[in-house]
Amino acid sequence: MKIGIVGAGSMGHAHAPAWIELKSQGAELVGILANHMDSTVNTLAEQHGAQVYSTYEELLAAVDIIDLCVPTDLHHAMVVQAAEAGKQIVCEKPIALTVAEGRAMIKACHAAGVRLFIAMVVRFVPQYAIAQQTVAAGQIGTPAVIRLTRAAYQPRKATDNWFVDEQRSGGMILDLMIHDFDYARWIGGNVVRVFAKSVRASRPDAPDDYALVTLRFANNAIAHIEGGWAYPAGIFRTSFDIAGTEGVLEWTSDTAETVQSFLVNAPLQAAAEVGLPTALSAESPFTTELRHFYEALIHDKPFSVTAEDALAALQIASAARESLQTGRSVTIDQEAL
Amino acid sequence: MRIGIMSFAHIHAESYVQNLRQAPDVDLIGFSDTDAERGQHFAEVFNLRWFPTHQALLAERPEGVVICSENSRRRELVEMAAAAGSHILCEKPIEVTLRDAQAMRDICAANHVRFMTAFPTRFAPSLLSVKAMLARNELGRLYAANGINHSEIPREHRAWFAQKALAGGGAVMDHTVHLVDILRWLLGCEVSEVYAEVDNLFYPGEVDVDTAGIVLLTFENGVFASIDCSWSRPTSYPRWGHFKMDLLGENGFVTVDALAQHLTLYSKRATRHPQWINWGPDSNQGMINEFVASIREQREPLITWRDGYEALRVALACYDSAHSGQPVRLEHG
Repeated sequence: MKIGIVGAGSMGHAHAPAWIELKSQGAELVGILANHMDSTVNTLAEQHGAQVYSTYEELLAAVDIIDLCVPTDLHHAMVVQAAEAGKQIVCEKPIALTVAEGRAMIKACHAAGVRLFIAMVVRFVPQYAIAQQTVAAGQIGTPAVIRLTRAAYQPRKATDNWFVDEQRSGGMILDLMIHDFDYARWIGGNVVRVFAKSVRASRPDAPDDYALVTLRFANNAIAHIEGGWAYPAGIFRTSFDIAGTEGVLEWTSDTAETVQSFLVNAPLQAAAEVGLPTALSAESPFTTELRHFYEALIHDKPFSVTAEDALAALQIASAARESLQTGRSVTIDQEAL
Repeated sequence: MRIGIMSFAHIHAESYVQNLRQAPDVDLIGFSDTDAERGQHFAEVFNLRWFPTHQALLAERPEGVVICSENSRRRELVEMAAAAGSHILCEKPIEVTLRDAQAMRDICAANHVRFMTAFPTRFAPSLLSVKAMLARNELGRLYAANGINHSEIPREHRAWFAQKALAGGGAVMDHTVHLVDILRWLLGCEVSEVYAEVDNLFYPGEVDVDTAGIVLLTFENGVFASIDCSWSRPTSYPRWGHFKMDLLGENGFVTVDALAQHLTLYSKRATRHPQWINWGPDSNQGMINEFVASIREQREPLITWRDGYEALRVALACYDSAHSGQPVRLEHG
């Protein structure tokens, strides 16, 4: 099937090589579209043997699958337009800025008979996937207290840094913590109550960039989610600690990488625009993620993470933001989905 | 492609079943094992066809076989497989004497079958990245390496690992060969001198093999490297053991912990407290894929009989050195 990517930022750059990995299964990356401020689009397209397109309509007309790696405020309109054009859709997380928009996107895809896959990549990161399997196998009994951390530095795109504009990204809580809200749901099930505290730590002019959020689950389990864009550039820490009635499962990125080198006169590595966790592994989690999408699509099988899951994670993130506004806990209304 | 497993004596056979099932275009036809109890057990566990004799498996004409017998029974199985025209992936150490190992090479050559030695660590992304660093000369001139492949005693899984007659030795036989192979591969030259302190410090009176060993090798290019191959981890340790290596060069050093990618599980249901669960890539899969590819492409595998032989030679030299208390020279024609 023919694929077109919209967006040549950090996610466009992560998805393009992943599609190339799926070539043998029939995936063909044919086009990339990016706005005029993204000067890297030509290089990205050239490296992956794709054409640069200048309008969304032209790209849609040329592909079977559209892969939206664009700022969050564009998700709703672009997904709806792609659905109306009858295209299968991959869309970066979070699904949308608001639950209402997200719901409308799911409805539009349903009405058009196309499938919508929200790229919740953490579900495809090996240590997170294996931890979930271990929990599902009953190794720790029933999850009781879940602690998740994802703490990085503020995205620092040289031009058009939409991440720091809350109107466009929803801020750190929607853009970054969404991963762990989704992961917490995967481990603990539905969430019923949310409470949050946040601070502007790294720069007075930036939106909230560090938050601690508590979740209460329908089965009474509790979660603590830490998220941040408050660290010095280049640092990205993630960890989980899942305590159940029969045991505990731990992992932290503070443990050593498989390979570390310490060289005299080594050039200082500049921090990437947007922090992404790194780990030397056989396959990029973006490849694993898009392979899952592609195989489920061509074999007509369900996605392991649905657009409804992505919407539920957004609902938790929105509740966390509401709690910050009100200073009170927020009850999640499952019916609202 | 039809592949079979000969013997389930070696615990790795259990992993290879999964790897062969995931390898592209492989038909895993079953396994042979002359131990009926073990055969029936694993046939049930893996829902896999069991052949009560090796000849019965070979009669099915597999294009390749993976030999997972006890160390001292590999030659016998290699001879059967080669005579039947099957290409061979052989567990390490490939045998227990150099004479047996040489006979294996000869029978494979006579029957035009290829022989690959099972050194999966060569397919670990961490070690491949070190290999690439060295190719770019980032460390400059290499000086020394400090290697660790210590583990628990494997007798809990299979008793023969700690029996001289079947294993040919203990910790040194079991756990020097991997790092010897990795170092030969990284440095691109052979071991010229072997010194080893070897003893049975952990299970005296319980087993008739060595359980502790520190080996100090010198390579032809002057690099010296140590290997800790001891069965020094208690069986309650969070995992069987480690694969680590520090490499020092004129521009700095690189430190490798090939199995660092693990979770820590504390479970009332687990046998280890805590237990480390690997989330990193499975090097065995890369090795099995290479074996299959070498058969399909009718070429020598990336890891050959020579690699298995040289590693065995170093392991045996460790015992010579331990016996004499002096370094042993290895000549390379």
